[in-house]
Amino acid sequence: MPRLREITKVLRSKNAGPFTITFDLLFRTKEDLERVVEANILGAERVAGYLKCPQSDIEVYVYPPANAIKITVPRRHSSGSFDDSDVFGCQQHAWMLDIEVPQR
Amino acid sequence: MREIKCLSATGQLGHGIIADAFHRGVARMPDVIGADMGSTDIGPYYLGAGQTESSRDMIDRDLELVLVAGRKLGVPVIIGSAGSSGARPHLEKTLEAVSRVAKERSLSFSMITIDADIDKEYVKRRLREGRVEPCGPLPGLTLEKVDRATRIVGQMGTEPFLAALEEKPDVIIAGRSCDASVFAAKPVADGFDHGLAMHAAKIIECASFAADPGGRDAMLATIRDDHFELESMNPNRRCTPVSVAAHSLYEQPNPFEVVEPGGKLELSQCSYDAIDERRVKVTGSKWVRAPKYTIKLEGVESIGFRCFSLGAIRCPIATTQMDDVLAGVEEITRTIVGDKYAHSDYRLKYRVYGRNGVMQDWEVNQGHQPNEVFVITDVVGKTQQIANGVCSVARYYLLHYFYKDILATAGNVAVPFVPCDIEAGEAFEFSIYHLIEEPDPLVLFPLRRHHVDNGAIRCLD
Repeated sequence: MPRLREITKVLRSKNAGPFTITFDLLFRTKEDLERVVEANILGAERVAGYLKCPQSDIEVYVYPPANAIKITVPRRHSSGSFDDSDVFGCQQHAWMLDIEVPQR
Repeated sequence: MREIKCLSATGQLGHGIIADAFHRGVARMPDVIGADMGSTDIGPYYLGAGQTESSRDMIDRDLELVLVAGRKLGVPVIIGSAGSSGARPHLEKTLEAVSRVAKERSLSFSMITIDADIDKEYVKRRLREGRVEPCGPLPGLTLEKVDRATRIVGQMGTEPFLAALEEKPDVIIAGRSCDASVFAAKPVADGFDHGLAMHAAKIIECASFAADPGGRDAMLATIRDDHFELESMNPNRRCTPVSVAAHSLYEQPNPFEVVEPGGKLELSQCSYDAIDERRVKVTGSKWVRAPKYTIKLEGVESIGFRCFSLGAIRCPIATTQMDDVLAGVEEITRTIVGDKYAHSDYRLKYRVYGRNGVMQDWEVNQGHQPNEVFVITDVVGKTQQIANGVCSVARYYLLHYFYKDILATAGNVAVPFVPCDIEAGEAFEFSIYHLIEEPDPLVLFPLRRHHVDNGAIRCLD
């Protein structure tokens, strides 16, 4: 099974304001996007499991113009606070890289 | 068809404008040159400390490029979120740079500055009226939080820029601004569609980030009556329908709508079409006015003073029992400094890189055994003296802690350089990120008129 890192051309995290973090996945093809949506491997329930947070905190958007999925979650610690480890929030994406994508 | 050409100089002025692409943009005779200088992305420190995130010399360098080009073409130069965080000290530092550049290059021009500092009493009044809401997942604002805030700024919308443009200044330098307002103001002032202007602005505020491959080179938006066109000023960067569409994901929680002061940008009906290999045409961006005008407040409060120390551990006998080593060192440290300080006077944390220093509990590779680890001894104390005191003990005992089965008894930490303990000054946290209802979009952002004559800035108000 291919992993997400093999079918995306962008897979990143970034702050969306100091209290929210957002994950963007831009797939190489429309088919790859559809495959991931169909298999529901990045549905709110699955993401909640990876990020250990309530499902209700998670927003998932499918954005066809860019063959993209966006996932937005609250930060555990606000940007630059004492317990934070990533002021820009740009190195929090690694949990997604090796998620396997079931074939159709 | 009418058109207006807006040139974005760079992603963040003060970090190095790429001169080749910028000059190529200037040669296209833009009607306005814009540059954003700041963000909350850089964390709470700069707003609290009143410092710029970029360096003095690089701010001078970048300002010189845009000011000289603006004067040469005779078009307005608009700079937003001056000095990184856009409060008064940041604006003042930016004006000092303007003065140095004007003197150096013998420039004379008219300038309007726009302040973005928000008065605490005003915020408290609005809070009592129930007209303040959190902007995102954080608690509601309280009077105490407002009192504790070191500094509060508001993100201005396009309106203060429009008011300034009416007076036709050569240069506008604004405090904290919504990134898009900086670039949307001129086309909106000239009567172009608000939705197209805001959308084009939202894209070019990051310069060539929306190109493929992305970069920080200057970007040109040409706005016409029913569409806008994008072109990177670096010939090796191509704007493609997908690269441009993808930009609406960036740093935004929702790709279909972007909330701005006074309304939102609706992007669900947009079309992105290739004009050629390097240019994209965008249609369908809609501006939807909000029923109530709101302004986003940003505020920080002090959490104390920081001192830190850097070091690395290579011995596998230590790294395989890192948690026990750190717990032991912390216990000794707390006992020793307990003779001088209360436990609540400081926070101590060892940031361990090589295992889960970056992702903490989101780390998927939890059992990983690294070859070496990097440790930051991080202390925030009520005073700098307390932080220094705790840090010196905490890193000394990390160096000389006798853990179980130790063989390397001469020291546990490879210290890359000295001094060991580095004072980082006051530390801050974001405490305010709230929307405040304000029916008058101008009242919080006063304009000041100036005349710049070589190095001298004369305030006319």
